[in-house]
Amino acid sequence: MLSFAKNLYTYRELIAALAWKNIVVRYKQAYLGILWAVLKPVMLMLIFTLVRSFVGIETGEVPYPILTFAALLPWIFFQESASEGINSVTSNSSLIKKIYFPREVFPLTAMVTKLVELAISFLILAGLMVYYKMMPTVFSLWVPAIILYTMIVALTISFFGAALNVYYRDVAQALPVALSLLMYGSPVIYPLSLVHQKLIIEQAAGIWSHDLYTLYTLNPMTGIIDSFQNVLLKGIPPDFDTLYPGAILTLAILPFSYLFFKRAENWFADVI
Amino acid sequence: MPIIEVNHLTKEYQLGHISSIKDTALNTLRRLTFRPTQQREAFKALDDINFHIEEGEVVGIIGHNGAGKSTLLKHLAHITKPTKGKVIVRGSVAPLIEVGAGVNPELTGRENIFLNGAILGIPKKIIKSKLDEIIEFSELEKFIDTPVKRYSSGMAVKLGFSIATSVDADILIVDEVLAVGDLAFQRKCFDRMEDLIKRQGKTVLLVSHNIRQVERMCNRVMLLNKGEIIQDGDSHATCDQFYQLSNKTISDQKKNSSARVISSGEVQNIKVDILDDNDQPTDSITEGGTLKIRVQFGLNKALINPEFHIGTHTTDFIYLTGESTAVLGQSQNYPSGSHEIQHHIPTYPLVPGTYGIRVAVIDQSGRVLYHGESLLFFNVLAKSKDTPLQDELRLIAVPVEWKLKDNNQKKNHI
Repeated sequence: MLSFAKNLYTYRELIAALAWKNIVVRYKQAYLGILWAVLKPVMLMLIFTLVRSFVGIETGEVPYPILTFAALLPWIFFQESASEGINSVTSNSSLIKKIYFPREVFPLTAMVTKLVELAISFLILAGLMVYYKMMPTVFSLWVPAIILYTMIVALTISFFGAALNVYYRDVAQALPVALSLLMYGSPVIYPLSLVHQKLIIEQAAGIWSHDLYTLYTLNPMTGIIDSFQNVLLKGIPPDFDTLYPGAILTLAILPFSYLFFKRAENWFADVI
Repeated sequence: MPIIEVNHLTKEYQLGHISSIKDTALNTLRRLTFRPTQQREAFKALDDINFHIEEGEVVGIIGHNGAGKSTLLKHLAHITKPTKGKVIVRGSVAPLIEVGAGVNPELTGRENIFLNGAILGIPKKIIKSKLDEIIEFSELEKFIDTPVKRYSSGMAVKLGFSIATSVDADILIVDEVLAVGDLAFQRKCFDRMEDLIKRQGKTVLLVSHNIRQVERMCNRVMLLNKGEIIQDGDSHATCDQFYQLSNKTISDQKKNSSARVISSGEVQNIKVDILDDNDQPTDSITEGGTLKIRVQFGLNKALINPEFHIGTHTTDFIYLTGESTAVLGQSQNYPSGSHEIQHHIPTYPLVPGTYGIRVAVIDQSGRVLYHGESLLFFNVLAKSKDTPLQDELRLIAVPVEWKLKDNNQKKNHI
């Protein structure tokens, strides 16, 4: 892990250059350029708002559109950096066969690329906050930490997935499906308070209610999305009770994921 | 301490497609239950390779396709790991393996310089300071802000080479990159490489199929064949051996493939040999030596006043010599049966290399009875190890006489 941090520093210029290339290449001939990056969260927000007008989802004092947009921001960042991360090694096969640098550069680059797109989405969020006359509080300072944590979660999946994808391309096919399913298991369309209400207060699943809730919070994105909404929109600190199960799970898997990647790395050039 | 140390390097690849999930699962199960796993056939790309390279050496690596040259370079550049053995590299490596691997077609030339610089590990500051030099060397001043996808392929390679050679590393690994661009640019690449080698004293590993180039640039050459080093040492001797090996391969191929022969069937059992001074069949002559070609053939009916045409050509069918008996004006009759004729060139003027022999038989009315190319391949070997290395600068070797300043006449036969 220490060598990982050292590599990160040594190859920062390379990561920056590759991420810059990804962005430039993607939007170069598009007239709207990088604005396309915000299309997805904005569209989803509009659709969810429309759906919600039929089914009715209780959101407390925060208006639904901004609440779901604040959930979509970390979610889409996570989903796309994980998918890109998994594809990052196989899509750079020409480089892998020709030149050596630590291969974790590729998943990291995917992440940094998505970070830039996330920054653009933040502008939209700021616009929404102005529209709904919300003032950011001092708790907004938590945002970088939450984003960093999201990156660690995405990296945990990327390392393992990217290495496996070199051998079995099934991974890159299966993961987007799995992730879009996971979206429904994360408080994106509905707020976490609703789940809390059902399971903890109403005990909707009987004796299993508490276990089910723990299982729900084992998904790191649950804590991330909830905290993100807390610190930005509600002006309260993150809820650590929701954060820690997912965090423990992530930190337990991350070393293995990284080691698996580093071991598999030796044969990338032969197999890819 | 050697800058590169390779000990017992073996690299195996598994033949066939990567195993399915089912096979992998079954093999894992077998491994867990201590039963033998199902193995696929392995292919040894490199077989127990050992060598040391000292700092400042310029080493050429030659060999046929599939001999393991590129695999070896990949190990030195850390791109792949050995199956067995050890590779120790003490210093930074700049792999110029196929320049332009990282050139992105969507980006402009200038953007690509920065991107490729980063990929090759050149700090941004250094690229900035070298930017003008790189652009100037690539001769692309006018197009540098145009996306590379609009470049011609030659322009893209020029750009790649210009970036790659601005790397500042202890060891340069060069794989077939000097054959880029037009002739003028190739010349420039040569000069750049020689500058890197001679003046900056870098350790260079050069892989090329252009043997003359290797012979000229390197002071040590390794010859790889089927994953093994069969010779390592003086560049001249090694390159000579490679020529012989090539010749063998070419003649092996000839046996397997149909020779380029047109025959009416009247001339049969053509056998071509070249003879040494004792009239014994051989496969090579020395540069500037006598070339004796013997052609044995059988006739199934008598030939009146035929014309024989015997010549030599390069392996890519450029006709070099070719003489006909028609100019002799002699009338000769050949009854049916077997015959032998000989064709001598007292001083064969071609530079060291591999050449082929062609034979044609034409009857008195001008009908071609037999025409065959590549009937035999032979080698012209260098005269001695200290022959000036200038083979890529000439095709034929002619005796010359120099008249130099102090009126001392000096004869120099090259």
